Amino acid sequence: MRKTAIQTKDPHIQALARIVGGEKSILYKKEDLIAYDCDGFTVHRHLPKAVVFPKNTEEVAAIVKYCHDHDLPFLARGAGTGLSGGAIPLNGEVVISLTRMKRLLHVDLENRRAVVEPGFVNLKLTNSIADRGYYYAPDPSSQYCCTIGGNVAENAGGAHCLKYGVTTNHILGLEVVLPNGEIIEIGENGIPDPPGYDLLGLLTGSEGTLGIVTKITVRILKNPEAKQTVLAYFDRVEDASQAVSDIISAGMVPAALEMMDQTAIEGVEAAAFPVGHPKDIEALLLIEVDGISAGISEQINEILHICKKRNVREVKVAQSEEERARWWANRKTGFSAMGAISPDYLVQDGVIPRNKLPEVLKNIRAISKKYGLRIANIFHAGDGNLHPLVLFDARKPGETERALAAGSECLQVCAAVGGSITGEHGVGIEKKEEMRFIFSDEEIVAQTDIRDVFNPKNLLNAGKLFPTPGRCVEMKQVASSIK
Amino acid sequence: MLPLAWKDDLTTFLPEEQVKIDGQTHPLGNGGHVTVYPQTEAEISAVLRYANSHGKKVCIVGGGTKRGFGGQMECADILLSLANYSGIVEHAAADMTVTVKSGTVFGQLQDYLAEYRQKVALDPAWPQYATIGGVIAANDSGPKRLGYGSARDSVIGLRTVYPDGTVIRSGGKVVKNVAGYDMNKLFIGAMGTLGVLSEITLKLRPLPKYESLVLLSFPSGNLEEVRSFAVQFLDSMMEPVCFELLSPSLSERLIGKRAYTLMIAFEDVESAVHYQEDYVQRLRPSHTTIRILPQEEAKSFWQTFYTIGPNGAAPHEPAGNEVEAAVKIGVVNLNVISIIRESELLEDCCHVHMEAHGALGHGLCQVYLKGSEESIITAIEQLRAAATSLGGYAIVKHLPFALRTRVNVWGEKPSYFFLLEGIKRKIDPKQTLNHQRFVGGI
Ligand SMILES: Cc1cc2nc3c(=O)[nH]c(=O)nc-3n(C[C@H](O)[C@H](O)[C@H](O)COP(=O)(O)OP(=O)(O)OC[C@H]3O[C@@H](n4cnc5c(N)ncnc54)[C@H](O)[C@@H]3O)c2cc1C
Repeated sequence: MRKTAIQTKDPHIQALARIVGGEKSILYKKEDLIAYDCDGFTVHRHLPKAVVFPKNTEEVAAIVKYCHDHDLPFLARGAGTGLSGGAIPLNGEVVISLTRMKRLLHVDLENRRAVVEPGFVNLKLTNSIADRGYYYAPDPSSQYCCTIGGNVAENAGGAHCLKYGVTTNHILGLEVVLPNGEIIEIGENGIPDPPGYDLLGLLTGSEGTLGIVTKITVRILKNPEAKQTVLAYFDRVEDASQAVSDIISAGMVPAALEMMDQTAIEGVEAAAFPVGHPKDIEALLLIEVDGISAGISEQINEILHICKKRNVREVKVAQSEEERARWWANRKTGFSAMGAISPDYLVQDGVIPRNKLPEVLKNIRAISKKYGLRIANIFHAGDGNLHPLVLFDARKPGETERALAAGSECLQVCAAVGGSITGEHGVGIEKKEEMRFIFSDEEIVAQTDIRDVFNPKNLLNAGKLFPTPGRCVEMKQVASSIK
Repeated sequence: MLPLAWKDDLTTFLPEEQVKIDGQTHPLGNGGHVTVYPQTEAEISAVLRYANSHGKKVCIVGGGTKRGFGGQMECADILLSLANYSGIVEHAAADMTVTVKSGTVFGQLQDYLAEYRQKVALDPAWPQYATIGGVIAANDSGPKRLGYGSARDSVIGLRTVYPDGTVIRSGGKVVKNVAGYDMNKLFIGAMGTLGVLSEITLKLRPLPKYESLVLLSFPSGNLEEVRSFAVQFLDSMMEPVCFELLSPSLSERLIGKRAYTLMIAFEDVESAVHYQEDYVQRLRPSHTTIRILPQEEAKSFWQTFYTIGPNGAAPHEPAGNEVEAAVKIGVVNLNVISIIRESELLEDCCHVHMEAHGALGHGLCQVYLKGSEESIITAIEQLRAAATSLGGYAIVKHLPFALRTRVNVWGEKPSYFFLLEGIKRKIDPKQTLNHQRFVGGI
């Protein structure tokens, strides 16, 4: 086969092409780069210098070393589904796409672990072990396409994280290429508590700013013996929120406890997986209980009882796996379903103490009114992780800015009740100024100090996660008004 | 007499009665010429600010249960005791979170929470002595870790006093949070080498509605049989919160049966617990013996279990010149069986008394040793060799100070040691806090 020559004189691109073995593993022409100018956060865009597709750790290390030695900014990219702009090449980075490192390297059911390459798609792991009755617990709604490398970087969560924890609770080991090209392995053989500071915990959720993950050892779980799923329709959103609080404070730990409000229901019912939810209810809860079959019905009865006490209009238990799957498909495609009722939408990701739900939802309704933009709420109610979806039309002048401001104000509300600005989507570009809602300057410096240990030249994914020094006067004012 | 003129400096920001000169050295080391007892976070800050700017070394102590865990300094300048810094700051009962001062005794916290039918989902050793701060700083976990995870899974927020006196918050009060780096993780298990934990916020779990403990003994001594039972059981859909193998010596002490014994605990609604007990009954080989401790009996068994290892706060004086030691070993899950077996073999060849248990569901083992100084050192080396040959590690969790200078408490430095060192240097450049207490002399 004849090798096509690289059609550029740029010596960096030629050098990178040599590392990855030629033209098939690098993009550098403008028309090819456009697809990489943003991720799931589409408000900001910037073209990368090039996109390279390494096949193994050594190639990643060589690319990184080259960039490091030549002061070229670079970043890692998985499936590009991130919702906060983490994979956007703000500084014209060399994008290192991990999508060709997508092998399942090893499964050890007896010791409950699997080793994957970073580009391996989340859901494929569960699918690969399901026949033996095992699964990988973190289940972001994007799991059919997002990568486990991206999940590690964002510390991704999902509907079933209420009981089973988020990504960080399931990572046993990582191979990492440091920003100077050095390869390290943390948590060798996936053994817990490796002596030393918990770098696994630090790297997970570091949004690709401390190193590039090239191999991941994850914990896998046995399927629960039984599952039951409840769908509850409420006339009043306050009642639904109270039911959530009641379930949590009754000492139950459902596998999932999800909520959608009226606008969200309108969206999912107009989209690809309608279930026939009534349109005139203010909220619905989707609740799943799993575990030992002998104990399930007792918990379901308690949940039904709580819903009734909170004036539920209708509550039902899924009668078949098919019905359960339909309910979940309706929920898990919730974000994209907003496309059916709005040209554009912005997903927010605040977290609040669970007993503050009624109060915060009320404040979000006020924000919606103030900005004249509809806000749909579809979220992980059980752990207080809200996803206000601000609906807008980018073609209308000024509406994008209004949507961003409304989103930011939702986060302010979350911060004001003692919550956080992000529960699973990460800070990225989107929320970096909002970091000041919850952290002082000193606390932010404490974090950038850690970044400097790993990434002293700050060539890896710069300009993310932390507020820009000096450009944040307004944010400071907002933050002090919260305090 | 030591020249301690600077002691008077301390009383410029601490009341006289919170500063004590400590004349004696402790057999476990990790002491201080002066002991200070701050009662507020501001006082902790003031002590650290003073020490850091005057080149004083500070050693941190909670309940003292882990005083024999790491450390190359017999006596620092200042021993900072958190014994008087305790109490619950905020308990959001409906939200299932609690914020607590680090000097709070773990058992007292659990007793308080039990009134709300809630608990911190950790079961560390010596709960009536250990403080929550010490449990988190040393990352101590117990047999129920299989079901509930470890400190890193429970801690959601920290207030940490840095060596220069600055208070740094990490995490928050919500159960899910990815804002910024997960800095909580840095301080958990850092042995106080980065900062003094001031307030700790934890997510809580409901107390189980019912619990029981199944003790399944294998008198045949055939470990292949233990393994095959374990593999089958763990491949089932049962949900034990603990699945640990006891060495025959430990089993003898705890239940009077010298045999390999599996400790399998269930916590759930009553019907689900009984269903799982029945499952064990059906699966177990016929010649095994089984004992099921329901509810209160299980609870009281656990209280005993949490006191089987050495306690740095109340060292029982072992007979003659015997010393005590504890070793934590990490291997791949089922290799725990080899470690338990090894501990038994070493007992004979090293002339030490050894008791061991290990979790087949996650791979962590604890080995407790008693014997002469020389034999203890040999035994620790042998245990470490066994662990590393299986790709694992061994760290010494308890050993008298004099012996700690002769064994490498933390084992070989990891290949990425420069990162650990870099983190320490950023946060504690003057090595003020718990100097040389941690991996590689950090
Ligand atoms: C419809 C939809 C639903 C979603 N639902 C959820 C949800 O329920 N829960 C949730 O948590 N998230 C959700 N997300 C967000 C997103 O899917 C997750 O953040 C996911 O983990 C990103 O994975 P990715 O492979 O797409 O990573 P990318 O978007 O490609 O990258 C994300 C970040 O990770 C870094 N990165 C990627 N790979 C690596 C690597 N190997 N090493 C180091 N850094 C790396 C990138 O630099 C970037 O900063 C959703 C997104 C969409 C579009």
